[in-house]
Amino acid sequence: MRSWLAIVLMVVLGVLMIIAVIQLPQPGSPDAPAQTHVSAYYVEGGKELGGAENLVTAVLLNFRALDTFGEVVVIFSALVAVLAVAAAVAGTGPAGITRTAAETESVEVSPLVAFMVRLLAPFIATFAVFVMLKGHVLPGGGFQGGAVLGAMLILLALFAHRPKPSRFGHPAGLFWLRATGVLAFVLVGLLGLAMTGWMFAMPHDPLAREAMMIALELGIGIGGAAVLIGLFRALADG
Amino acid sequence: MGIAEFIDLLLLGLLIVCALGVAMLRDLVAAVIMFSIYSFILCLLWAIRGAPDVAMTEAAVGAGITAVLFLTTIAVVGRREKK
Repeated sequence: MRSWLAIVLMVVLGVLMIIAVIQLPQPGSPDAPAQTHVSAYYVEGGKELGGAENLVTAVLLNFRALDTFGEVVVIFSALVAVLAVAAAVAGTGPAGITRTAAETESVEVSPLVAFMVRLLAPFIATFAVFVMLKGHVLPGGGFQGGAVLGAMLILLALFAHRPKPSRFGHPAGLFWLRATGVLAFVLVGLLGLAMTGWMFAMPHDPLAREAMMIALELGIGIGGAAVLIGLFRALADG
Repeated sequence: MGIAEFIDLLLLGLLIVCALGVAMLRDLVAAVIMFSIYSFILCLLWAIRGAPDVAMTEAAVGAGITAVLFLTTIAVVGRREKK
């Protein structure tokens, strides 16, 4: 009975989705609303108005800053939700079985792998910061740099010796680091409000605008990396 | 058919094969690895389509971090899917 209900629901949703996809304009068609409305304006005036060589960054941080702020809040909320669930089920394994210490003990890693990870980590971190700082000129930005940095932290956490507590493990400090993306966005948004009269707006002075963009990218990147390592820790330790 | 279209079709075909593999594999670790391959192919497609920003995100998040998070979860819940 239940599986029939699921099949009916899937068929209905699938048909609705297919109808919606059929009605989409042809990809790349010059008559599509995506081509005829704002995108031409973004492409033409993006560099001067958006203040970033990379149009994607101009749209993300300037034209559509409010949407990006929403994304940053969603990422942070996801971590909060996972932490809440992890705290609620702490100490219980699958089907409510309490895990013993022997079961959670990690397997010995090959020294070669551990060495390679430690060797590569500084280079990965440098690349991540480069991607964050240059996001307004080159492809990349806060989200990408944060993901790379978070992946590096997770790699290190995988191969670090478990009993040793992390230097960055201080709960209060880590808590604020996780909120960096949201906090940086709110601060830069308020700064824009003070300078131009519009929330999330950026002044036309190129230097101030570049500084605000870099602050945003760094905030999103560091906050994103902290959220990712937080997600990993909640899963691995929880 | 030019070489560019051929590569596009090849990658899209591999994408479908990988997606089916993720759905059909019973070994969850193998499914996660298949999912990583899927993300890498998608990353290539984004790069070919002129979206380097998205390609970068796909490589870092799709192929890297989600795989690690999935593997961490599998370490908790077990490797085999119940029939």
